[in-house]
Amino acid sequence: MTSVHDHSSPAGEPTVDVDDPALSQFDLVREGARRDGVEIVHYAPRFPVPGTREERRAERRIATLFVLAGLGSLAFLVIYSVWPFEYQLGAGRDKWFTPLLGVTLALAFFGVGAGIIVWSKRLMPEEIAVQDRHDGASDPAERKLTAATLLSAYEETGLRRRPLLKGALAIGVAPMGLALGAPFIGSLITDPKDDLFHTGFGKGTHLVRHDGTKIRPADLKPGGIETVFPGIPGGATNAHADSPTLLIHLRENEAEKAIANSRKGYEDAHVGNFFAYSKICTHAGCPASLYEQQTNRLLCPCHQSQFDVLDGCRPVFGPATRSLPQLHIALDEEGYFVSQHDYKLAIGPAFWERP
Amino acid sequence: MISSSAARVGDRFRRHSGLVVLALALGLLGTMYAAFAPVSQADEQKTTASAEDVREGQQLFEGGCITCHGRNAQGVQDRGPSLIGVGAASVEFQVGTGRMPMARNEAQAVRKPALYDDKQTRQLAAYVESIGGGPQLPSGELRSTDKDVIAEGGRLFRLNCSSCHAFGMGGGALSSGKFAPSLQPSTDRDLYAAMLTGPQNMPVFGDNQLTRDEKKAIISYVQAQKGDQDPGGAGIGRTGPVPEGLVVFLVGIVGLLIATLWIAGKS
Repeated sequence: MTSVHDHSSPAGEPTVDVDDPALSQFDLVREGARRDGVEIVHYAPRFPVPGTREERRAERRIATLFVLAGLGSLAFLVIYSVWPFEYQLGAGRDKWFTPLLGVTLALAFFGVGAGIIVWSKRLMPEEIAVQDRHDGASDPAERKLTAATLLSAYEETGLRRRPLLKGALAIGVAPMGLALGAPFIGSLITDPKDDLFHTGFGKGTHLVRHDGTKIRPADLKPGGIETVFPGIPGGATNAHADSPTLLIHLRENEAEKAIANSRKGYEDAHVGNFFAYSKICTHAGCPASLYEQQTNRLLCPCHQSQFDVLDGCRPVFGPATRSLPQLHIALDEEGYFVSQHDYKLAIGPAFWERP
Repeated sequence: MISSSAARVGDRFRRHSGLVVLALALGLLGTMYAAFAPVSQADEQKTTASAEDVREGQQLFEGGCITCHGRNAQGVQDRGPSLIGVGAASVEFQVGTGRMPMARNEAQAVRKPALYDDKQTRQLAAYVESIGGGPQLPSGELRSTDKDVIAEGGRLFRLNCSSCHAFGMGGGALSSGKFAPSLQPSTDRDLYAAMLTGPQNMPVFGDNQLTRDEKKAIISYVQAQKGDQDPGGAGIGRTGPVPEGLVVFLVGIVGLLIATLWIAGKS
């Protein structure tokens, strides 16, 4: 059934009486589309003679796709409920859990999607509809009227002639906006007080390993490095995330260089050939613990800052600008490493009070 | 007379018994010391390198190593370091993994097919051992399949190794062309020797820092990870979520885009 295009203006006045009993269902559909500005210019069924072999084949193809979707979904459910998913070391069936879920779900989605597309392409009537493009802007007359209304409203307030009121409005309303926003922004701000200047180390705090054991000089060979924490409750946890320190055992001749390069006030910070520096990079706070024991450099993996251990951990490459702070260390009477006092400088990246 | 001589004998015995008790006590003390003393030196067991091995090793040394390491392995300025005191473990690592002899002086010696076979490596190690001692590798099994040991090794690996060798053991860049190598080709003994001796720019992890059992735990973890299958098929080098996202975006989204265009083109 082909319809003839006989209306020059699709969005024009309705010309069809919808109560006319002589109109077919398709006539009403076409009239509805026309009133929405869409003109159906071509409409024809795919199979003018129903029940042909071609049509039945298309039907079967669609049915197959939907069954495929159902099988995929069922397989998904079965795998989800019974497949072993708990982690096993090595190669095992658990490694296929996620891929199988993905494959079966993909099959289900593909079946439904492909079925719908084939249905609309093969069985449903072919149709060509035309819709005129709308102009972007509103009607010029409408725009003129709206502008006049707005301008008139502004002039009625007399703000142009009364600058006092204009000022009063600004002074009165702006603080009100701040008052409304203050609780939300204020809840995001806490005063760190002087927390940023202190770590977990204090006078005579032991340098301990991750498991809390103390460290003696004999524990580290020359060229060795160990991450140490303050020997206080929770010292190796995030509660003291600013405290991790690198204890480095330099070789004899290199230690001499490092001692010769000691900064003022740090001449007695080391114990023999042992030096302790903050592990927190002064650029962005990453753990700068990639230690090259021949070149004696500490590297930060985040932005490739490099620090020269033999020269007070001065930054020699990359974006960091401050040296890694050095921790003053000593030995207690039993021969374990302790800190003489807290870091003299704030560790880690710059902040407002310590640029 | 008789009684007095008997008394003298008894006296002598008493005097001597004091000595015996003292000797026993000292012996016991020594045994206890040996049992409870720190094991750092005790566990670097001496292998039985024969004099012939040392001689053969010296010949090999003079053929292949002397240019850079000097006549008595004392090192040559700007060419090679002294080998006195580096120990057999270091030789086994450097020569066994083909890093030594180096092809040329560059940022870092890289792993390559070994030039010397196992026997020659052992002879070289015996020679270097003979001139200055140093750490040696333990014999026997260095790996465990106990899950608790592997888990402990994972904890130690993340604490000590992952900063340079990366969580996926693929290695990573260091300064000026140097790099921490991938651990994929490493054997148990390679790993143990590397930790014990700190080859090139790797820090030394002596037996007091990481005990033998802790080193074995790390080895167990590393080797277990290598045998672990990647969930989801391709691990793309276990380089992390960013490359995985990139693959999904480039391959997956582009694939869908092409499929959409194809469907639209068929209309």
